[in-house]
Amino acid sequence: MPDTLPDPDLISALPRLRRYARVLTGDFTRADDLVQDTLARAWEKRRLWKAGSDLRAWLFTIMHNVYVNQRSVRRRESAESSIDADQGPVAGWEIPTRATQSDRIELAEVLAQIARLPGEQREVLLLAAVEELRYEEIARVQGVPIGTVMSRLNRAREKLRHINSEPAAQSFKVVK
Amino acid sequence: MSAGLPLSEDDLSAYADRQLPPERVAEVAARLVEEPALAARVAAIQRQNAMLRDAFDPWLAEALPRDFIAAASGRRARPSRATRAWPAFAAAASLLAGVALGWLVRGELLQREGTPVTFPRQAALTHALYATDANRPVEIWANEEERMVRWLSKRLSFPLHAPNLNSVGFALVGGRLVAGNERPGALFMYENADKQRISLLVRKDAEPARETAFRYALEDGVGVFYWIDDSCGYALSGNLDKLQLLSIARIVYGQLAAAEASAPKP
Repeated sequence: MPDTLPDPDLISALPRLRRYARVLTGDFTRADDLVQDTLARAWEKRRLWKAGSDLRAWLFTIMHNVYVNQRSVRRRESAESSIDADQGPVAGWEIPTRATQSDRIELAEVLAQIARLPGEQREVLLLAAVEELRYEEIARVQGVPIGTVMSRLNRAREKLRHINSEPAAQSFKVVK
Repeated sequence: MSAGLPLSEDDLSAYADRQLPPERVAEVAARLVEEPALAARVAAIQRQNAMLRDAFDPWLAEALPRDFIAAASGRRARPSRATRAWPAFAAAASLLAGVALGWLVRGELLQREGTPVTFPRQAALTHALYATDANRPVEIWANEEERMVRWLSKRLSFPLHAPNLNSVGFALVGGRLVAGNERPGALFMYENADKQRISLLVRKDAEPARETAFRYALEDGVGVFYWIDDSCGYALSGNLDKLQLLSIARIVYGQLAAAEASAPKP
């Protein structure tokens, strides 16, 4: 039962944690707040972390739960407005800096496509394709059965199928 | 056995993501040979994965807000100082220095944000940060070496080469993008049979620097051989004997010079 989290590991997980937060919230500012809240929660719960286990997956799980809790609070608070904050397309994703001009267009298009996916599909896609987490770990992060993970993953891939077909030019015509 | 069963969508995903149970890999691979349409689906998923990584990986090289570092060590940053963003390596530098010197002086170190970090120091700290990372020392593993080198070259806007150090018993683990002073750098990580790791940091700043001979620095116990060649800085870092590190640095230098000589001139 460790009393502290392994600091260098935690630091090296930060960029990934921030990226996951951006994918969850779809908003850079809210994402940074979510990282802070997640780190605070991780410190409160640090005794529950099993030394030697994958810190990244553990942090993702905490972040997912913090995010879901905050969202349900927000929903209760704005119940009368009946806006579903999670289902709409994400606004405000920035294109990564330092990309070349042609890159930026292509990457912007990829990000725009992903932004249109439902939140939980976005999340699974990032964890499986980019973070390369095991499907069982993703199921734990999201707190759902593995079958649900697979169907979310397959649906996300199906929707994005056209973006991997060679030139991105055609996909600019995609209408929401 | 189950050769007659059609492959499910889950099978194709798991195969593409290399998550299929080992006992099923051969069976699925055989089916893909028989059915080119399914093989094409798998290839499409893998292309899509590569594209997603290309789209999302640049975020990892962004500077982290300094509040994150405080929060990561269990403290909330003081709001008055909370707004400055810090290059990730400088944050890591303070952190590692803090770990080395003890928690009491850490707060002070975190505030010395104006302290310049020299190239060998950056190399040593970056090495210390990632060489100890058991799960994710690199962003792209060596099995995708070509894609890794292409991606890093694109991000740094000049052609890179990952030296081959097999002759001295160090195999390429992979590479990652790291934060630099003004521009990102690339880190190639190597490991030998004793699980010792060394890393090569490559960085080019906006200001062209003067060429230098090999120089040696010892930073927090990490040995660094570094040199600047054609305005590009190289640093080989590791907890190795100085002479051993030097002999490897010479190999790296020789291979990079050979690669440059054979590259088409712009």
